[in-house]
Amino acid sequence: MNGNYLEDNTHKRRLTYLLLVVAPLAFIFVSLFLGRYPVSISDVIYILWCKISGTPCSLPEICQTIVWDIRLPRAILGAMVGGCLAVSGAAFQGIFRNPLVNSGILGVSSGAGFGAALAIILFNATAPTYIFAFAFGILAVVLSYLIAQVYNATPTIMLVLGGVIVSSVFSALISLTKYVADPMDQLPAIVFWLMGSLASARYQDISIAGIPMLIGISGLLAIRWRINVMSMGDKEAQSLGINPVINKGIVIACATLATAGAVCVSGIIGWVGLVMPHIGRMLVGNDNRILIPTSLSLGACFLILVDNLGRMLTGSEIPLGILTALVGAPFFVYLLKITKGGGW
Amino acid sequence: MALIEARGVEFGYNGIPLFQNINFSIESGELFCLLGPNGCGKTTLLDCILGHLKPLKGEILLNDSNISRIRPEQIARQVAYVPQNHEKTFPYRVLDVVLMGRAAYIGMFDRPGEEDLAIAEEALATVGITHLKDRRYTQLSGGEVQLVMVARALAQRTPVIVMDEPTAHLDFKHELVIMEKVVELVREQGLTILMATHFPNHCFYFENSGLITRVALMSNMNFLALGSPSEVLSEENLKQLYYVNTRVVSFPVDVNQEIKQIIAISTTDSRHEDKQGRSVL
Repeated sequence: MNGNYLEDNTHKRRLTYLLLVVAPLAFIFVSLFLGRYPVSISDVIYILWCKISGTPCSLPEICQTIVWDIRLPRAILGAMVGGCLAVSGAAFQGIFRNPLVNSGILGVSSGAGFGAALAIILFNATAPTYIFAFAFGILAVVLSYLIAQVYNATPTIMLVLGGVIVSSVFSALISLTKYVADPMDQLPAIVFWLMGSLASARYQDISIAGIPMLIGISGLLAIRWRINVMSMGDKEAQSLGINPVINKGIVIACATLATAGAVCVSGIIGWVGLVMPHIGRMLVGNDNRILIPTSLSLGACFLILVDNLGRMLTGSEIPLGILTALVGAPFFVYLLKITKGGGW
Repeated sequence: MALIEARGVEFGYNGIPLFQNINFSIESGELFCLLGPNGCGKTTLLDCILGHLKPLKGEILLNDSNISRIRPEQIARQVAYVPQNHEKTFPYRVLDVVLMGRAAYIGMFDRPGEEDLAIAEEALATVGITHLKDRRYTQLSGGEVQLVMVARALAQRTPVIVMDEPTAHLDFKHELVIMEKVVELVREQGLTILMATHFPNHCFYFENSGLITRVALMSNMNFLALGSPSEVLSEENLKQLYYVNTRVVSFPVDVNQEIKQIIAISTTDSRHEDKQGRSVL
């Protein structure tokens, strides 16, 4: 089970890529008929057909709304958020040469968390929350990068240190906003936001937050082979012919756009950005040419799966941030056992 | 023709010069060895030549143009690098590591193609490690990893390869495996090699093999001597360089071939060191 996918067998490679595309689509489709309001598979297909072809639908309005306006955008958003977090995590692990790094290493999650909390206190409306979360997420990474540059270049260790510093500052600021928030409505809103949820998914959110997510993902997919080279360290990467500062900058920019776009609509969802890339490493090896697309696909499938569990397990929804670890951990241990750790 | 030329190069850390006014040129097809005690600045000088560090004074010319004005991918098409101690991170396949040698020829948003793959396979074959190509390189021995690094450098298809103590940490046999490989590359591929080493006998080994070999002895911020091993590696010079009493011995293995070796006898007791191993006499 190590990555001989790329050169050895064109047929096998095509099949792998096909599977990576089909799997999230299948998860999205399945999540359309899962839920507390029963809709049969044939009804789901019928509704999809009507909506896509524009023909009038004879099923009750509520049925159409649930499938087309609630479950479908939610599943699509789940796929995008999960994919973004996982792919950014994989890219960061590569350029920081450290398998323990996740998508929030440069402070994007804590920055976004603070932005959201601040917006909840100031405005208590959805749109400013997205904007603040996104802007502060980006700001946090920019700050980490600037801190690292105090040292003239941007050595990896300084970047990580910058991220740790910025994260802890924003964590403190999150605590401060919680402390001053109105405990009746604002505080719960902050706490729920920080635990992550896809419940508010609507098409317009997807179309706006989707822009940075898609830009980030496309950038990382395009540059993915160079992540291999960057993981050799700055000195070797440079002697192999790539400018480490510019290339690292591009990866950080793309991963940050993707993560900030994801976090601003979903809240903070841990675990995905750390562990999905590892599951990818166990399944297809460490070559980023195949690892990056695999992480994308795995992250998407995993978050749809967890979100479905979250909305079906109990009467009220379980926040995503809680379930990702509770569902993911046993699965991770299981994979660790069957792949014998994937060569670590 | 001089492939690499250093003119009045100076470098230092925190305002303290490590070396000053270094001048030399490396000709095509020769094997140029840098020899000197720990901390004398061999690796730093190599870093300047590779363009990782910018000299404080002077300039380094690569094919007559100043290296600080050449972009990394242009340098990487001229000079490849075999590190002293490669720090392994992810368990990549050996072939994937060697493919990274093609980075200088592949666009930022592109991936290696069939031709790059063929060149990587050829590099593996040249080094003689084709059988390792699907292994995870983190599970290889130190000597095998070093051969992978040599193969990666070959995949860069450069006229020059810079090696920083390529045999450090290798056992008795693998040291010789690397040395034989280096000789083969110069002789059969016509490569030019710049190598930092700790062992005077490496220089003799190359000379004994019939290669055009020059050695620069680095000490006290400059070159103590520069020339062929037979000229430069005298008992007197080594005493000055390392504070070691030595004997150069010659052993005939054939009618027309003799092997020169240097044997360390004892350290001289006139030496005082600071923590970096630099002489503070």
